[in-house]
Amino acid sequence: MTAETNRLVDSDNGLVSRRIFIEPEIYQQELERIFARCWLFLCHESQIPQPGDFLTTYMGEDPVLVMRDNAGQARAFLNVCRHRGNRLCRADTGNAASFTCAYHGWTYRNDGRLVGVPYLKEFYRGELNRENWGLVPVAQLDGYKGLLFATFDPQAPPLREYLGEMAWYLDTFFDRREGGIEVVGTHKWVMPCNWKFPAENFGGDSYHVQWTHLSAIQTAFSTGVATKPNSTGSMVSPGNGHILICVGPNDVGDPPVPEILAYEQEIRPEVEQRLGARAKLINPIVGTMFPNFSMLRATSRSFRVWHPRGPDKTEVWSWIFADKAAPPHVKEAIRLAGVRGFSPSGTFEQDDMDNWQECTRTCRGVVSRRMALNTQMGLGHERFDEDLGASASDLRISESNHRQFYRRWARLMAAESWAEV
Amino acid sequence: MGDELIREVEQFLYREARLLDERRFHEWLELFTDDVRYWMVTRSNLYPRSSKAIAILNPGRNVDEDANDDGLAILDETKKTLEGRVARLETGMAWAEDPPSRTRHLIANVEVAPGATPSELGAYSNFIVYRSRSETEQDYYVGTRRDTLRRVAGALRISSRKITLDQNVLVAKNISIFF
Repeated sequence: MTAETNRLVDSDNGLVSRRIFIEPEIYQQELERIFARCWLFLCHESQIPQPGDFLTTYMGEDPVLVMRDNAGQARAFLNVCRHRGNRLCRADTGNAASFTCAYHGWTYRNDGRLVGVPYLKEFYRGELNRENWGLVPVAQLDGYKGLLFATFDPQAPPLREYLGEMAWYLDTFFDRREGGIEVVGTHKWVMPCNWKFPAENFGGDSYHVQWTHLSAIQTAFSTGVATKPNSTGSMVSPGNGHILICVGPNDVGDPPVPEILAYEQEIRPEVEQRLGARAKLINPIVGTMFPNFSMLRATSRSFRVWHPRGPDKTEVWSWIFADKAAPPHVKEAIRLAGVRGFSPSGTFEQDDMDNWQECTRTCRGVVSRRMALNTQMGLGHERFDEDLGASASDLRISESNHRQFYRRWARLMAAESWAEV
Repeated sequence: MGDELIREVEQFLYREARLLDERRFHEWLELFTDDVRYWMVTRSNLYPRSSKAIAILNPGRNVDEDANDDGLAILDETKKTLEGRVARLETGMAWAEDPPSRTRHLIANVEVAPGATPSELGAYSNFIVYRSRSETEQDYYVGTRRDTLRRVAGALRISSRKITLDQNVLVAKNISIFF
């Protein structure tokens, strides 16, 4: 399988096998080698600000309980009872000192310790050592600018190393002003497509905007920055499979709402000062941190996780966000732009899902599956740009980021361990 | 509430449903006042205070299950943005509705209540919306609506609609239709 998966992606020639979007064995290998190995997004700190606050999420298909313990320490565990494997916490969010499994009543503190086993003395005769049966923690947990990430792999490089130069690009979304961002709310829904289609789309597909989204641009739901012939910018890949769509520093991709446009004008000098010289060269508007954490500033303000749910299903968890320092009327305008542009009803988003669904579904045909996908646009026209700290395409529209994404995917899929990546 | 008024409200809601199923969106838009808030929320899983499954550390931080009014809506529209959505459908490039959804709106449990002012009425209704599309795509959207109806030049108009969809993770891939 290992040598085989390497052959499924030919980034030098811009070809991708369609088998990777449908075959169950490849999907299982992704769960092992991508999702049980990479740093994955858990939540933003503003979602669990106080001791006892928790939320439930997933890393790949593994259910995860993220919480702030009584001492204020953020922690993440498999949301699975050690006894029979029942899903321990069934709430989305809340505040708790401890969690009791609904099956037999085993109870865990919010630091993961098993503290209650009904009839421990009588039926276990005191022979069960509770210390050995606490919740299973993630291997590593770390934060960057308020974003919490975790990995199941103890050998994974530290988060900062995994991010590399992507860290600066995350700043352009999440640390533009003092205080960073705050989360306005959550959308969750199921899309009938392979998780890689939205991940590659957010990280590198400026090309589809002028056609897929033309209806929403024509009816004023977006400035349509990516479709303007005089826009500049570049496809940028800061390494490790992370990819971003960037426009030029003077290209406006913000939601076409007067309050938001005025706000952006006003804070621009402050933001440029905070982000440094590179912010005068490039304006990142959409991106994907490998493998499944995407972010968006154009048309809406949203970040999301593409949770894999089998080869042909993806559960999207999406959050609208705003600069914490933004005034309330701007936050409200951002909330509304998000609901109207990028949500299950979003005038942009709904047209994307249909395409990704059909791109996935046609892979079921064995003959259709033999046809390689074409990611050749701009092949050979990208180079490493010192100022951007990243590989960049020479034209603003290119599929160079698709090639970077799938190159990283193939490398992880072929590697037996992080040492080989 | 008099029987005649209740019948009038029911017929108004049924006719509205038929306009949607027949994709007569411009006529449908005329049923809303210019200052309408058209709003759809979903639901979340929060433990009730009486739950034994968690030991609550800070009761003030466990909000009620049904209190997501301030949370993130799936739709939060004005007359203008609803018109924009209809205009988008007419561009010939709104791919999520090309081919168009086939919908059937079933409206039930209609209750009429006094409104906040003499010119207004409250109307509660439940819905099942069946959506079939393309070849075998099917979705059921089930929930409840709380409307404020206002009489404008003798005719009923919707001045506020809150739609609660009884799902947490929406299992339909999109909301490309109206409720």
